[in-house]
Amino acid sequence: MESLYTRPCKIPNSSFRKEKSELELELRLLEALEIYPPAKLRGIHRHFVLYGLTEYLRRSFNQPFSGDDVLKLLDRFYNLEMVKPDDEDTEILNQEEDFRLPQSYFVTEDS
Amino acid sequence: MVSSSKDESGSDGENSSGNAPESNSECLFAGGEKVLAYHGPRIYEAKVQKVDFRKNEWKYHVHYLGWNKNWDEWVGMDRLMKHTEENVLKQQALDKKAGVDKNPKSGRSSQVKPKSSSDGKLDKEETKNNVAKGKKRKADSGIEKNNSAAEKLLKIQIPSTLKKQLVDDWEFITQQNKLVKLPRSPNVEDIFTKYLDYRSKKDGMKTDAVGEILKGLRCYFNKALPVVLLYQKERDQYHEAVSDNITPSNIYGAEHLLRLFVKLPELLAFVKIDAETLIRMQQKLHEFLKFLQKNESTFFLATYDGPKITEGSGKGKDN
Repeated sequence: MESLYTRPCKIPNSSFRKEKSELELELRLLEALEIYPPAKLRGIHRHFVLYGLTEYLRRSFNQPFSGDDVLKLLDRFYNLEMVKPDDEDTEILNQEEDFRLPQSYFVTEDS
Repeated sequence: MVSSSKDESGSDGENSSGNAPESNSECLFAGGEKVLAYHGPRIYEAKVQKVDFRKNEWKYHVHYLGWNKNWDEWVGMDRLMKHTEENVLKQQALDKKAGVDKNPKSGRSSQVKPKSSSDGKLDKEETKNNVAKGKKRKADSGIEKNNSAAEKLLKIQIPSTLKKQLVDDWEFITQQNKLVKLPRSPNVEDIFTKYLDYRSKKDGMKTDAVGEILKGLRCYFNKALPVVLLYQKERDQYHEAVSDNITPSNIYGAEHLLRLFVKLPELLAFVKIDAETLIRMQQKLHEFLKFLQKNESTFFLATYDGPKITEGSGKGKDN
């Protein structure tokens, strides 16, 4: 589950230094990845994980972000297809079990 | 102290009737007897209502004292203990382990709060109090793996008319032996599409977040349906209706989607999500539920198909 940090090949027009805002963006993303690791983007929870990532960035910059924006950004750092899903995600929902409506639903008093 | 000596016919299994070869041949508990019963990680006071000998072992139908009779069930001797001081100590030990204050509860409190933290706050104390108030939770294997995950459950408020749908749903299937007629129209996919339409008209362009959440729900639904969203009696129907290339979300509808919401907090417990995002998610999920409620008459079936399975007693607690 190794990730390769690859710098994009093309270098922005004037210099080697990225725009500050670009760096900010990448930093925030990497920060967010501590909560939402790439491995989780490969399993059954992936849409909610992506939602969390998107929300994080949206809040950090007070700018709209879409799930696709985030995935594109992520693509600078990870080849998601190569990332192995979290083990825990593959274990969930393995055990068949009859649906059971919890006790609280049967209480007739208004809850 | 419980003496371990069984009476004569017990251990060697040679019974005069010849049909109970093993040591289970002895009936350990009597009808009307107050006992202690294991249920999930804890022990509860219960009363034996009836006794039966099935498949070479004694089974006891118990009613948990102070609990709604919906919880009544058949259990084997492995789940039961005599109501002795020694066993009461065991009960208390497990209560302690579960972090429960042993309140003298006179029956069940009428308001049973769902086991979750309120308002998205991660309040462990509150959750423990809810457990003490008597929310009996069966240890769902495969989903609720550890306590700490369960304690931070996202609270999903299901509107009361939808709760009633779930109870009716339970009633139709488990008590009346009926089934939802498949395939459903609208199905889950249709409902999602309608919701996106509805939201884009309301919010303008900003449906990206909602879209992602719906994708997440779809993902869960398709995986979860055959595993944890079906009542026992629906399994045959499932196998007939859903084969290799067919996804549940194209066959099932609002009835089963609603069940997903019952399980949703447990599923989401396995994903770490920051508190603020959790709150927004809660809002969005709630909005979706309100949409279901608004369209209740179009999305939900008023009646289910008559009994296809002929089972003797509709009283069977199959759930």
